[in-house]
Amino acid sequence: MFSTVDPHHKTKRVSALERLLAKLLSYGTWIASFIVAIGIARAFVDANDVRLMKAGIGCLILLPMLRVLLMLFLFLRERDYRLAIAAALVLAIIVAGIVIGVHRGSAIAG
Amino acid sequence: MDAHFTIWLLGVSFGASMLGGMLGMASGIFIVPVLVIFGHIEIHRAIGASIVSVIACSCGGASSGLNARLTNFRLAIVLEVATTLGALTGVLLNGVVPIRFLILLFAAILFISAVQMLSKRRVSVKTPQAGCRWATRFDLHSTYPEPARGVDVEYKLERLPLGMSLMYGAGLISALLGIGSGVLKIPAMDTALRLPIKVSSATSNFMIGVTGAASAGAYFMQGAVVPSIAGPVALGSVVGALAGARVLLRVSGESLRLLFVIVLILLGVQMLLNGLNIHLF
Repeated sequence: MFSTVDPHHKTKRVSALERLLAKLLSYGTWIASFIVAIGIARAFVDANDVRLMKAGIGCLILLPMLRVLLMLFLFLRERDYRLAIAAALVLAIIVAGIVIGVHRGSAIAG
Repeated sequence: MDAHFTIWLLGVSFGASMLGGMLGMASGIFIVPVLVIFGHIEIHRAIGASIVSVIACSCGGASSGLNARLTNFRLAIVLEVATTLGALTGVLLNGVVPIRFLILLFAAILFISAVQMLSKRRVSVKTPQAGCRWATRFDLHSTYPEPARGVDVEYKLERLPLGMSLMYGAGLISALLGIGSGVLKIPAMDTALRLPIKVSSATSNFMIGVTGAASAGAYFMQGAVVPSIAGPVALGSVVGALAGARVLLRVSGESLRLLFVIVLILLGVQMLLNGLNIHLF
């Protein structure tokens, strides 16, 4: 079998960054989903207590931001400033969305 | 919070997501119509719940594409500048646009998706291309493994500016309707950037989480994400997507695809009627 593989075109291995991103995203999803599940169980007991569920949902929304932050650090470390700027921009845009949401939330409450 | 309603939410999101997972596609497009038509949930709340489940499914499924080296994460972060900017625009529009417009737009997206599912995705040209100079500047060209031949295949990106513009539109629709908006991402990836299909599927799924976070963050803070709706929907979707990816297909992919098209059209018709104030359920 190995004779069919051209030594000049061997497939590359999964990079450390790819492995790190994969781990962050899958473990993160598991943990956040677990918190949501506990929250649902809690709400079955006390319908008014949705704090844990809310925390789990918050974790799910934070997870992609964490992924971009990780990429930002790794691009900076590799001195790949163009992609680091792209990552910083993405983070800034997401934060801008959160700020808009906070303003609207307080406008509704007030 | 009503226990029956919670179980219903868990069930429908599990079912929709499992069906989606069996075809390797996101099910976000089903969640909002089902919640609005059968759950009688106000559309902004349905969108808030759906976008959280879209994020969860994207993050939960990202590792397979990364570990198979199909995800072009360098390209993803560049395109995400456009998708998140689009999402931010969608967030701003979401508060202004009338509800009826949202429902009708959703109906249109359902019909477009049905048409897209019926037509085969075109296979990108295999011959080596010169590649777009913007993509070269950001070093976005890459390779992906072709297990059948045991080699890495090189690919180059075309028309990055056009791809970015389409991605802006995809982000906008995603935020406005609470979906992953594969409808717009597939043409952007296949037609504009000319990515190999495996690469475009993995990269698009990888990007959805970040795109969704841009609008979900806003909706969460303004109180449009209702925990008692979004929680069960997110959990049901994650578990459903996992189950769907593992289920052995007993029916052929083609008949499942047809079932999907029929469901998309039925939901589209119902959303259209809803938008025109005709209620059957």
